[in-house]
Amino acid sequence: MTPPDISKLIVRTSMRDRAAFDLLYRQTSAKLFGVCLRVLNDRAEAEEALQEVYVKIWTKADRFAVSDLSPISWLVAVARNHSIDRIRARRMKQTGLDEAAEIADPAPGPEALALAGDEGARIHLCLEELDADRAAAVRGAYLVGESYAELAERHGVPLNTMRTWLRRSLMKLKDCLER
Amino acid sequence: MTPTDHHEPELGGDEALAAEYVLGVLPASERQDVARRIEADIMFARLVDDWEARLSPLGAFYTPVDAPASVKQALDRRIFTGNARPTSRAGASWWNSLGLWRGLAAASVVALALVVGWNLQPPVEEAPSARFVASLENPDTDVRYLALYDEAHATISLSRLDGTAAADQDFELWVIEGDEAPASLGVLADADHLEVRPSEELRAKFAAGAVLAVSLEPEGGSPTGQPTGAVVALGDLRSI
Repeated sequence: MTPPDISKLIVRTSMRDRAAFDLLYRQTSAKLFGVCLRVLNDRAEAEEALQEVYVKIWTKADRFAVSDLSPISWLVAVARNHSIDRIRARRMKQTGLDEAAEIADPAPGPEALALAGDEGARIHLCLEELDADRAAAVRGAYLVGESYAELAERHGVPLNTMRTWLRRSLMKLKDCLER
Repeated sequence: MTPTDHHEPELGGDEALAAEYVLGVLPASERQDVARRIEADIMFARLVDDWEARLSPLGAFYTPVDAPASVKQALDRRIFTGNARPTSRAGASWWNSLGLWRGLAAASVVALALVVGWNLQPPVEEAPSARFVASLENPDTDVRYLALYDEAHATISLSRLDGTAAADQDFELWVIEGDEAPASLGVLADADHLEVRPSEELRAKFAAGAVLAVSLEPEGGSPTGQPTGAVVALGDLRSI
């Protein structure tokens, strides 16, 4: 389904059009379930999160019109933010070193890069300009929702140092993307 | 990691906070604070949106996985049945839900058809008709409307996202086509959901690129037929 079609479905969903919402779910739920699974790393919790994500989409679809994001990026943002909120609440209790090891290298393979298209290639090139471990920290945070505390622990640095490193990386990334 | 270089510039202030929120690295309590701020502060919300856009290509690396059918069933139960109300926007009661009223209107047409004894034909595929959407806003105000114009029904559906006029003032809606003078579509009632039916003459002005604007006018609307107060929100009509 092309992005304009998804835009249309989101706008119709904001007008409480149930048929449009059903179609939107059919077209996009696999992608958003992928997001929930990757961040939450637990099938039952991801299923629950996916449900909540679509409740949000149903009730907040009107926000899409005031966003500059592409429709699929907007949907992914809703799913990511919700999943990260959930995991942040859950991980307050557990700081899993095992878990950190599992997600230590979320760098995408070539096939994923091809999927990402020009924009994806560009952000990847910009990430390449960063030191490898800083780029890994940015990717890890984005894709699996690692917190400052978890990143600091994994990289063996104080939290404030991690914050500084990441803020510098984000600055460089922004400059590179705007070049 | 390389040793810290103190001369390297780093992101700061709101921009850093927006980026950190999007990246997802903040602790739970700070995420909640930021989420509240996004709702209240449109300039900050834009910073967040910009960072979502910058980093969104990374989202391509999420591999789609089919969700079990039970999720959709549970979702439908949650949204569409039981005590669930068909709207959840804070402050909007279900009486104001456009969908509800449209549904009721559709239901009464069907009921009338049955009473009159029409033979209900199977639904005919609707001819494609133009639809336009516009997001009306102005960074200097908190007034935000979402407008959807549906040519087939000659109706503008307006959803107020934020902002109200002072007690002795009204919002008035205008359509502006190219360099022509604004044409009034009438005073907007103080409600979260509205439908406006423009006259045939005004309907001709609805095309991609035309602008919808909301101005602040004395109670009852502009006395001159042209906007007299500040334009508190405006946006281009975009074809969808």
